[in-house]
Amino acid sequence: MTLEKMPNYFLADLPEKAVLTPAVVAEACDALRQNRRRYLLERPTESLLQTLGLVAEKWLDNDYPIRRMALERGARQSGFPLSSIQKGLDGLFQEMTAENLNILLQQDLGHVRRLDCPSSAEAESRTNRKSFAVGPELIAHITGGAIPNPAILSITLGLLARSAQFVKCARHTSFLPRLFAHSIYETDAKLGACLEIAEWKGGNQALETPLLQKADCVTATGSDETIQALESRLSRGTRFLPYGHRVSFAYATKAGLENCSLQTLAARIVDDVALWNQRGCLSPHVVYAEKGAAPSPEQLAQAIAEELDRREQSEPRGQVSNPTAAIIDNRRRLYEIRAANGRETLLWSSRGSTAWTVVFDHDPRFQKSCRNRFLYVKAVDGLTDALNAAAEVCGQVSCVGLCASPHEAQSLVKQLARWGVTRICPPGKMQQPSIAWRHDGRLSLGDLIIWTDWEL
Amino acid sequence: MENFASLRDFAAILAHLMDQEADQGFDSSALDDRAFGRLALALFRLQVQSNDCYRRLVEYLEKSNPKTPAFPTSQKANWRQIPCVPTLAFKEFDISSLPKSQRSFVFQSSGTAGQDRSRHFHFQGSLALYEKSLARWFFHHFQTGNPETERLFILTPPPIETPNSSLVHMLETVRNRQGFPEAVFYGRLIAGGGWGLDASRLLKDLCEACRRNCPAALLGTAFNFVQLLDALGASRQTLTLPLGSRLLETGGYKGRTRELAKTALYRELEACLGIPSGRMISEYGMSELSSQAYDGRLDAEDSCLCGRRVPPLNPARLFRFPPWARCQVIVPETGQEADEGETGLIRVFDLANVWSVMAVQTEDLGRRLSGGVELLGRSTNAEARGCSLMPET
Repeated sequence: MTLEKMPNYFLADLPEKAVLTPAVVAEACDALRQNRRRYLLERPTESLLQTLGLVAEKWLDNDYPIRRMALERGARQSGFPLSSIQKGLDGLFQEMTAENLNILLQQDLGHVRRLDCPSSAEAESRTNRKSFAVGPELIAHITGGAIPNPAILSITLGLLARSAQFVKCARHTSFLPRLFAHSIYETDAKLGACLEIAEWKGGNQALETPLLQKADCVTATGSDETIQALESRLSRGTRFLPYGHRVSFAYATKAGLENCSLQTLAARIVDDVALWNQRGCLSPHVVYAEKGAAPSPEQLAQAIAEELDRREQSEPRGQVSNPTAAIIDNRRRLYEIRAANGRETLLWSSRGSTAWTVVFDHDPRFQKSCRNRFLYVKAVDGLTDALNAAAEVCGQVSCVGLCASPHEAQSLVKQLARWGVTRICPPGKMQQPSIAWRHDGRLSLGDLIIWTDWEL
Repeated sequence: MENFASLRDFAAILAHLMDQEADQGFDSSALDDRAFGRLALALFRLQVQSNDCYRRLVEYLEKSNPKTPAFPTSQKANWRQIPCVPTLAFKEFDISSLPKSQRSFVFQSSGTAGQDRSRHFHFQGSLALYEKSLARWFFHHFQTGNPETERLFILTPPPIETPNSSLVHMLETVRNRQGFPEAVFYGRLIAGGGWGLDASRLLKDLCEACRRNCPAALLGTAFNFVQLLDALGASRQTLTLPLGSRLLETGGYKGRTRELAKTALYRELEACLGIPSGRMISEYGMSELSSQAYDGRLDAEDSCLCGRRVPPLNPARLFRFPPWARCQVIVPETGQEADEGETGLIRVFDLANVWSVMAVQTEDLGRRLSGGVELLGRSTNAEARGCSLMPET
């Protein structure tokens, strides 16, 4: 199968010149609801888990035509390097097993058959109740980011919740979610018939109004402004699950630095930076490293720079737009002046390109990166120092990649959690959360559900 | 290679050149690429000697790029290789050759309270050169009459309220040289440092100009003009300003009011003021520079002769700096000079920046076309230049 020969199941499959109209969107929503009633509503969980597990297995097979298409065309279509698409999708689909989805159901809903029929976990049994979980009829996913994984995960969770789904992708980002939807369609056409994928530039009120009116649940990823604007357009009964702007950082304690190989730690941090070119919320902007360790924070910065240089050979970042390169270039020049004028700033960067940049900066204030493999390393006295320096992003930190010794980890995790961090993992795993991950600290599947309690 | 004993000597020669160029109507500039290059390299050497922050940058670049040819000190050197300072650095560093005790004026970039602003230090000598540079090029593009023949409307606050605005200083210089009264400033400073408009006085005086059939020359920033449009809209008025009226807009909104694309702004201004869009030009300048670029020329005689029937000027809206400043467009990915027509980052080499730094890298994107540079917007999509922490992208 080639992209050109792929059937037009979804609106995003239509040629670019095809004009979407509000009526087409409204009709698609009605058809989705109808298909859900016919094909999805009574589908047993077990069967869904098997199908989704099978789809994921196919995606992990190098000969699977849709995977091949994703790898062959994905870089050009999405703007990400091939290595990111390969590693990012492999990481996601390795997690998407029937077993892991089963664990997710148990974790979020307390019982694997909650969505099949009223059932009792221990708490309900003790109080003589059964509970039944009901998902939305039609979810509209408004995806804002370029990374495909959140959209693919949202589709998966929506199917588990027995919801028809309309995925509205931002401009130029529908290619990979669309291929995922095709893989579902190809595996199980009835499930595929409960999905719609479309793409248009955000803020198109004419197209968005029927979608927002027809959906009983709207999820949205994007900037805080986009989310606020969307929320203001929803009617009162519509549930809204926003995933706003988040940032992440890595933190290495003195003991953590001393107990691991510098090269290994640098390589893991670079994994987190290189995957999706740092464009996801889970990728670090800053690495905080405690002073007084051997290796020092400066040595860690240098090791990361050397690793980024090596990685550029094996997994090149690829092209960025002129405005993005301009921002990187101007920012580098500012740090050159800082470095030249003795502000305890060190700078390492790729020659003749903007492919990667590492800034070691004495000022511990959290500094948002301009992404695309531009990383700050900052020296701090301890976690409290780092959190004070990151006060400006308190409540917006999605993930901390923590390199610490086992005996200190628990208290650091408690401190980070109380400060508002919702996920902590080892460096190297920041962008590859478990499928049972509580996205932004909330139950990913559980958030979609409304409960019905049946008192016996 | 030219040698000057001091920055003061350089400034004196440059001032003389500015006069010469202007007196010849900028027709056949003596400052061809070679002549410009000789002066630029001479100024570069003086600035490396006298500007500590810049010298350290040049030394750092030489140390960290040992394989690249030495910076332009040799006979074969090219002014295009002169290291640039990004405008961002003016917020954080004193990019100046002036000892602290001599810095009697400072121009700051616009912004609201709490934002870091660029600082460009001046003293009487640099200010005099700045005024000469701006006036020579301004009056070549936007001839103003005198208080007897026309009315001047400046939509920014007066200099007494905004002593650190290079734009207001420029407009005050224009006003002063043409002998208009101080009351031609119609803006005022509002809480938080923003610029408001004394709309009722402005509308009253514009109506008066219409009644007396006195051509109006309006000068202001893009957001000033949006404020004027809003005021006209609120009072449900449109004006038909007398023949010969014209307008200069300096670009930039910086989050102060609703934004309008330039073509839409000009269209609305044409509809609401009765000034043809061909009688509107744009200025490109910044506090970090001492010279400005314009995207068209309006002279007073044409305005009287042609009035509203003038076709739109310079439809591509290409900006031109005076002969003592050069614009370079680089491909930001590689740092190499962009080909004609290729989009890149704008650098300005401004010889009038004698006591600060001549070579400045802006955050603006543009492309070089025959006859000038087309501006294509700013490379940062977030705040106007400056905030305590930089935006992500």
